[in-house]
Amino acid sequence: MTEMVTWTCTGCALLCEDIQVSISDNRIEHVENACMKGKARVFGCKEQAVPTIHGDKADIDDVIKDAARILRDAKNPLLYGWSNSTNEAHIAGIELARTLGGIIDSTSSFCQGITVNEILSGSVPSCTLEEVREKADVIVFWGADPMSSHPRHMSKYSYFPRGELRQRGYEEDRTAISIDVWQSRTAKICKNGFHRIPPGKDAEFMRGLIEALSGRVPKLSFDYDVKRILELAATLKKAEFGVLFAGLGLIYSIKEDITLLSEFTAALNQFSHYSLIPMAGHFNMRGFNHTLHEKTGHIYRVKFVDGKAISGVEYSVIEQMKRNADAVLVVGSDPLASLPGSISKRLKDIPLILIDPCMNLTSRVADVTIPCSTSGIEAGGTAVRMDGKTMDIHALVQGNNMSDEKIIERIIEEVG
Amino acid sequence: MALDVSKFIKAPEYGITIVTYRDVFQSSVCDEDRNGKECERLSAVIVLDATEMKRMGIQDGVNVRLTSKCGSIVVRAVSSPREEQKGIGFMVNSPWSNALVYDETTDGIPEFKNIKVKIKVTNEEIMSHRELFPL
Repeated sequence: MTEMVTWTCTGCALLCEDIQVSISDNRIEHVENACMKGKARVFGCKEQAVPTIHGDKADIDDVIKDAARILRDAKNPLLYGWSNSTNEAHIAGIELARTLGGIIDSTSSFCQGITVNEILSGSVPSCTLEEVREKADVIVFWGADPMSSHPRHMSKYSYFPRGELRQRGYEEDRTAISIDVWQSRTAKICKNGFHRIPPGKDAEFMRGLIEALSGRVPKLSFDYDVKRILELAATLKKAEFGVLFAGLGLIYSIKEDITLLSEFTAALNQFSHYSLIPMAGHFNMRGFNHTLHEKTGHIYRVKFVDGKAISGVEYSVIEQMKRNADAVLVVGSDPLASLPGSISKRLKDIPLILIDPCMNLTSRVADVTIPCSTSGIEAGGTAVRMDGKTMDIHALVQGNNMSDEKIIERIIEEVG
Repeated sequence: MALDVSKFIKAPEYGITIVTYRDVFQSSVCDEDRNGKECERLSAVIVLDATEMKRMGIQDGVNVRLTSKCGSIVVRAVSSPREEQKGIGFMVNSPWSNALVYDETTDGIPEFKNIKVKIKVTNEEIMSHRELFPL
């Protein structure tokens, strides 16, 4: 018998809750409303992970015991990944790190973590995607290309839909602006609202806009039509409800000057009402920040010393994998594919445990591989959307593997 | 037999900055099969301004070697359909672009979108992910 269910997609941090999935005999048959990323997530990977120790197939109980042994023997274990896991798995991971006196960090460490920190600390105002859909009239995509990273972003929330206060939609009621180093797919939609700036000049352009908002003519070190930046400032000022979607293009460019985000939003809010939403990629990148913040007061890069959490750049995944970590537990991530090559090469030299539903590049160097169910497909829980809203996610089908949450709990029992 | 002198001539090198971006087609394919050939085909590519390619003597579709201070890879060069900023190449975020990223940071965030490299034409084959990270 075929059953139709409404599902919350875990393909990205938009967590679209309107996906229709038909299921027959515990098999996903058909998916409606999902984008390419969502469908790729639903139908899963080609090559599923199997339990292994040093590349040889092993019993699931044995791999869990071996993982626990590696972590127990390590002086400086690092628990890393977490952006494809539920909040409940995060809680288990934090508990494991505390038990081990180890370090826990996530992909947000070199992604949107610093932006989430600005929001959770109250420095930068934010809002929900529903507010964007119902109210936003000026939408700025800065260093962000949702048409490529979050394909339903513009159609579901930020630009194309009719909203309570935007019944004329994008044709008359909304203005989309793209500030980027090239004409992305999103920039094409923004048409004349596209502002191309040189790489690394985001901070200067932002300061120029702050000047222009104050009625002063900005001076820029690069060739840019001053009239256009003054026109852009005028458009931003006129907004009733503006929103800035901060992409990695912006965040990487201003990472050493991140407080500029609060200066910019404060400058905008002298004239209008502006919020910022980070363009988090993985479905629960932000959930890790929220859960860790709730448990320790820090959003990432935490080391437990005598049960007490301390945070600092020295406990970031990059610094730890480069030098200090003597064992790594990776959960739902592929560091060999996503970290700088030189760091990836070091992963061959330290004991590595990989918990993942799929074979990936990191599987090649993992000492222990533990297959888990796919969160949001075979395991449920809660996750935090890119705007900070907590969402329930439900399993669609029953898988053969334990959830990562359950595996971590088993490792905690073994570490004892 | 005529001597092929081209192999004795060193291809000129040019300095460019690589900016990485996301692509939904590449990411969907790679999510499905990270080790597959299609993921490699969509990832091991650098997009350059057509005029810049002409200046550097790089023909559309040829292979180029990219060398940073911490890695060296071979990918395919393709021209952008639009005019792009000079001195910049665009690569989709992937293990290929990451192989060039320098890991020294002061803030725990490497320069994933600001990668300084030398580019030159090469007859070498595009590197597979296994060649990027030999065991």
